[in-house]
Amino acid sequence: MSTAESTTALLDVRGIGISFGGLKAVQDFSIALPPRGLYGLIGPNGAGKTTAFNLLTGVYTTQTGMTTLAGKRIETLKPHQIAAAGIARTFQNIRLFGELSVLDNVKLACHLRGKHTLLGTLLRSPRFVAQEEAMRLQAMELLSIFGLERVADESARNLPYGDQRRLEICRALATQPKVLLLDEPAAGMNPTEKVELAESIRAIRDRFGLAILLIEHDMGLVMKICERITVLDHGQTICSGTPSQVQNDPKVIEAYLGVEETAEGVVGGAV
Amino acid sequence: MKTLAQHQQDVPGKVATRWDVMLLPWVACIVVALVVHFASPVLVNEYWQNVLRRVGVFVIAAVSLNIVNGYAGQFSMGHAGFMAVGAYVAGATTYYGSLLLHGSVNDPNFYYQGIGLMLGGIGLGCVVAAIAGYLVGLPSLRLRGDYLAIVTLGFGEIIRVMLELTKGQLDNAAAVKDAGAKLLIHLNGPSGFFGIPSYANLFWIFLFVSVTCLIAYRIKYSSTGRALLSIREDEIAARSMGVDLTKYKVRAFVLAAALGGVAGGLYSHIGANPSPTDAGFQRSFDVILLVVLGGLGSISGSVLAAIVLILLPEVLREAQQYRLIIFALLLIIMMIVRPKGLFGVKEIWELDWFTGWFSGKRRERKAGAK
Ligand SMILES: Nc1ncnc2c1ncn2[C@@H]1O[C@H](COP(=O)(O)OP(=O)(O)O)[C@@H](O)[C@H]1O
Ligand SMILES: [Mg+2]
Repeated sequence: MSTAESTTALLDVRGIGISFGGLKAVQDFSIALPPRGLYGLIGPNGAGKTTAFNLLTGVYTTQTGMTTLAGKRIETLKPHQIAAAGIARTFQNIRLFGELSVLDNVKLACHLRGKHTLLGTLLRSPRFVAQEEAMRLQAMELLSIFGLERVADESARNLPYGDQRRLEICRALATQPKVLLLDEPAAGMNPTEKVELAESIRAIRDRFGLAILLIEHDMGLVMKICERITVLDHGQTICSGTPSQVQNDPKVIEAYLGVEETAEGVVGGAV
Repeated sequence: MKTLAQHQQDVPGKVATRWDVMLLPWVACIVVALVVHFASPVLVNEYWQNVLRRVGVFVIAAVSLNIVNGYAGQFSMGHAGFMAVGAYVAGATTYYGSLLLHGSVNDPNFYYQGIGLMLGGIGLGCVVAAIAGYLVGLPSLRLRGDYLAIVTLGFGEIIRVMLELTKGQLDNAAAVKDAGAKLLIHLNGPSGFFGIPSYANLFWIFLFVSVTCLIAYRIKYSSTGRALLSIREDEIAARSMGVDLTKYKVRAFVLAAALGGVAGGLYSHIGANPSPTDAGFQRSFDVILLVVLGGLGSISGSVLAAIVLILLPEVLREAQQYRLIIFALLLIIMMIVRPKGLFGVKEIWELDWFTGWFSGKRRERKAGAK
């Protein structure tokens, strides 16, 4: 990583890591994500990708290193403060608010940018009413990006799987982030849906001017849309570079070949 | 794409200031209270009016507990402790206040001042209970599930034991003046505080019932309510979306405790002598039962459960001794048939069968008209 790159990075991660007991889940993880960058994070199952996201979002606190977002240190903040600072995420194992409606899931995330007083709530003050209406408008606008406005009043848990993944992205966008972390957003989708999703991810980046870090198992998708890729294995960063650099790196090939069942399906096509 | 702030700038032009939306529901609370107050004596005898007052107290207790157990999903088992705090503070305020100011308790000549003392006492009890809720709510941030249940259970038991250790009740103005601040320890120990005038008539009870329901409703359908429900649904997701867990859990505890304190304050003014057992586990369990049966998060569920379960033993007088067995059975059956309680997190008017039934009726009527 050159100095020029690191000073212009929106999200600058340097050497963060965490161990669980003896297991070094993520070690010395660094990444410099520029504004509007679309970077990928790949690696075999259990490599530590989700854990890296958990460190970035404050679900776990890093034991080493530092993270800055737009120049501000965030590695010791709590998750809600990190969300307020401008990092939003989706979850690999979908974590929607199942009993809430689709609309309320997104409105909940709009919460972050609003003001909420008990008195205003109890009196239904003009401020409160206007804010609720603004939240509804914004939520509907976001839902319509993914064609989810039709099911706005459904309970989130009644949505089909693919729509739940899309709703996760909507919800994350509603926090008005600067950086969006997507954890396997295409998991369980069919090839057509994946192509659509790849388009939406790029479209979202352009429309919202976000930087995106994407964890994805589908190599085709990652290689197609990501500008740079970081590869994790056993918590270590084994390679970082452009898609073509990563594809031809012997350590990457070895890491994937080490994992029998994913070897052919995942990297076979890419190698 | 517009930000929330930009949306908000656009909105005020479209949303006029609605004084009716802001205030009419609160006025409606007074109307409800007046209607119940004047209609009940016409419809039922004094005995049932007393039952109705008890129902009202438990509606407040259940609806308030629902805020923490239902909305926020934090399983508190010490609600009776907060209620007892409210009951003793309000009861003692009225009783000792009357002695101090008037020299006797429950004198008809002192009726309106007495009502004033009761309202002041309920307000004070509400504040003290809210403070207790804050103190119990804080450790709840570090605790989850079973552990939280145990801590809150412990809180109720501590209140119970402390009340049992209090000294005998004072019964004349001179003694009260002498005691000064020590009045706090003259709460009559295990036998319970007695002689509190039964000032909380149906008007006051149902005023507080409807106000509590309105508060619970307006919180549920607001950004605060969504934040609480999101915590119950998935804490990690809620935090990652920017919900400050500390703030909202404590808010839920304080609100529930404050309104629980109000329920207690009314309880000591309906002719029920508050006693230490009212702070104990048994009473907490009674209220939890109402919330769970009605549906965690459902205001109308809590209301209905409170009405049915308080009325049931009155109707089946012979079954009184089997009360606990019947309740336990009811709970077991409910857990099998409707594990989320009667209405789940929804309100009765949001249920499919309910809306369906009404639109069906309307359709029938229309068809009939043709
Ligand atoms: N809270 C935790 N406690 C113990 N081990 C964990 C915890 N979270 C993750 N791990 C371990 O860390 C490793 C990396 O997991 P994860 O980040 O989920 O991998 P990936 O997302 O790359 O598939 C795994 O071995 C996992 O079991
Ligand atoms: Mg993962």
